[in-house]
Amino acid sequence: MKITILKDKLKEGVNIVEKISSKSINLPILNNILISVEKNFLNLTSTDLEVGIRWWALVKMEKEGQVAVPSKILSGFINFLPNKLVNLELKDLNLKIECENYQNLIKGVNPEDFPIIPKVSTEEKITLPSRVFCRNLASVVDIASFSSTKPEISGIYFLIQKDLMVMAATDSFRLGEKRVYLEPDSVNISKDYSLIIPQKAAKEIINIFGEKEGNLTIYFSSNQILFETPLSEVSHPQIQLTSRLIEGDYPNYQEIIPKKYDTRIVLPIHEFIDQIKLASLFSGKINEIKLKIDPVKNKISLFSQNPDIGEHQSFLVAKVEGKPCEISFNYRFLLDGLLNIASGQEKKPEVVLELTGSEKPGVLRLKGDESYLYLVMPIKSS
Amino acid sequence: MNKEEIWQAVLAQIQLNISQANFATWFKDTSIASYKEGEITVSTPNSFAKEWLENKYGKIIFKILYNLDKEIKEVKYVIGKSELKVLKRPQISLPTAGQLEFEEFKIDKETNLNPRYMFENFVVGPFNELAHAAAWAVSKKPGLVYNPLFIYGGVGLGKTHLLQSIGNAVLKNFSQKKVNYIPAEKFTTGVVSSIKNHDVEGFKNKYQAIDVLILDDVQFLAGKEKTQEEFFHIFNALYENNKQIILSSDRPPKAIPALAERLRSRFEGGMIGDISYPDYETRIAILKTKSQEKGVAFPDEVLDYIASNIQRNIRELEGGLNRLVAYQKINNRTPNLDIAKSLLKTLFLSPNKVANHKKIIQTVAEFYDLKEKEIISSSRKKEVVKPRQVAMFLLREILKSSYPFIGRKFGGKDHTTAIHACEKIVRELENDEGLTNEIDLIKQRIFSA
Repeated sequence: MKITILKDKLKEGVNIVEKISSKSINLPILNNILISVEKNFLNLTSTDLEVGIRWWALVKMEKEGQVAVPSKILSGFINFLPNKLVNLELKDLNLKIECENYQNLIKGVNPEDFPIIPKVSTEEKITLPSRVFCRNLASVVDIASFSSTKPEISGIYFLIQKDLMVMAATDSFRLGEKRVYLEPDSVNISKDYSLIIPQKAAKEIINIFGEKEGNLTIYFSSNQILFETPLSEVSHPQIQLTSRLIEGDYPNYQEIIPKKYDTRIVLPIHEFIDQIKLASLFSGKINEIKLKIDPVKNKISLFSQNPDIGEHQSFLVAKVEGKPCEISFNYRFLLDGLLNIASGQEKKPEVVLELTGSEKPGVLRLKGDESYLYLVMPIKSS
Repeated sequence: MNKEEIWQAVLAQIQLNISQANFATWFKDTSIASYKEGEITVSTPNSFAKEWLENKYGKIIFKILYNLDKEIKEVKYVIGKSELKVLKRPQISLPTAGQLEFEEFKIDKETNLNPRYMFENFVVGPFNELAHAAAWAVSKKPGLVYNPLFIYGGVGLGKTHLLQSIGNAVLKNFSQKKVNYIPAEKFTTGVVSSIKNHDVEGFKNKYQAIDVLILDDVQFLAGKEKTQEEFFHIFNALYENNKQIILSSDRPPKAIPALAERLRSRFEGGMIGDISYPDYETRIAILKTKSQEKGVAFPDEVLDYIASNIQRNIRELEGGLNRLVAYQKINNRTPNLDIAKSLLKTLFLSPNKVANHKKIIQTVAEFYDLKEKEIISSSRKKEVVKPRQVAMFLLREILKSSYPFIGRKFGGKDHTTAIHACEKIVRELENDEGLTNEIDLIKQRIFSA
């Protein structure tokens, strides 16, 4: 193997694949990045046996070949090189790196031992702008939480239909659901897909594709999913991320979304967020803040108290319909939902909060936008 | 050689050819899924393992297999479902604070059981000893003792807890047994939709494949003839195959109105256990267990106050305790007797706690499946006379109404009629256990509605 590549290009690739290469006691090869050169393409690969990432770039090639090298050393070293041309050359499993005044030799490992990234059939796919996809995924990804007893809910649920993609996540205290409408001609699937992606993979997707211009293509098969962006200069993938899917059925969460409400409050979201943040300073160990909703005076009052610190009380003018209501929430859960709703909104957005008694979940939505829904369970009121 | 032995032989040989780390990573949870006509299908736990075995070890695996059995022509690899999942049952984690969860997620989809209900957190006292002992025995030998097990008792006394505990214990003791818990109402809905979808057979087959069927609140089957019929068939099929059936109701089988006779006699054919009101000591014990679970301690006089004021419903007992727990959390100090009194005042005096003559008559009428009008009328039919006397007796006992008042409320009857009715019931109560039971249940309903 012998190639020449610009340092910045190489750095971009190494940084993308390096994140998931992990320390593994059972299989030390997983700490490595597989470097292979074939037909003018440089390909970097890493995996943790759950997610696999592959990255390609066009390079000036003199000789093909492949080797696996430890990811930490490679990325640490390349980050410090000047932005000049870098020569990579393989000599008996040792990778020689030359760049301006630097000459290095990294001991490699037999590439034959590197795991094979599973293939995903490319028949069933959808395409959408990668920024849009990542922004929507980001609004639910943090809600999921690891659960060894219920592996299903430790991932992000996806439902893909002809014209609609639904993403949902829950940690059994709250639930977020985002609906994204798809362009019909960008969808190429023969049936509906419902699948669960591990949270770690979803976070990695946002990291890698979140700031990318252009389209992201998603391929489906029964146990694997593949996310791909193309190279701009030739028709060849630039980045491929494959992830295992979580087995099992996602809980039928539609059941828990209340169909009607007793109290409906509309209020400016940023003021609400500020008041919750204020009240949170005085909340106790369980992060409890209490909301009191008064439909006659059209206001919502916030209370919090902590025996060691003191107490807080404030109110906001809001449009209230329905019955009066008192309900307590964990302020973190409320804030997470509100911040997800507020993000990316330019004007002064208003939020709708719907309640059904003090022990039933509250529903948060952006006013005039049904696509995002955040459901949060209250704290048993005292 | 069977599939398992073949694969064991392969594993034994391949260990010698590859490193321990590789062996542990790639061959874990692999097995032969099928073997027929010279074609072997190897099941792997994930797609990485599949790719690896196929591409890296494919030749060597084939060679070993071929040496074992010359008929093997082809080896295929598939991704199998990992079998680990079946063994894992959700563990309970009791929430420390009052944060509520989506309860629906906790319930096991296959069994409908809520893992929170266990024998370990069921408080046993003289009032539920028998039911508990029977339930315990059933959970040890499902289908062999006490079949069917019928448990009855009033609202909020722990029937559902006991029933679900049996289910959970059976799952723990015999992980292969299929358990299904279903409230009678849901069962009815199932029957209705199966009729709608023309799939009654499928519905029946689904239930006949169950090892332990738990049907809660069977009194709701009353008057639903088609559901009763379907249940009758399912019941028979299960019973004949020695599958356990567990039922609960808020009254004994005899007192369930509009229940087909053949079902009634079957319900009575096994073991009937009742749960009555907890005595004072048990109520204190329950309060202590619950406060321990919640990690708080209250002075004895406070617990005594709750226990002596809430006598008829364990759920309410917990409700009262929760109020005090909340007080303690917010104010960071333990409520004393005076504070407890003022905190719980509203609970004891809530308007629906207070019985009045209308409510008593209405409840009695409902209990005996009569119309209110019939009770108040002057009909002398036997099936009306007794309920009427019971109602009069309850008016006298609960409300301390005067006899002339009672007479007036029943269509202007003479006060001597009322006296006669009350005395008659008092007399019968001494001899008739069944009547005592019925009156207890009616009282429960009056106070818990």
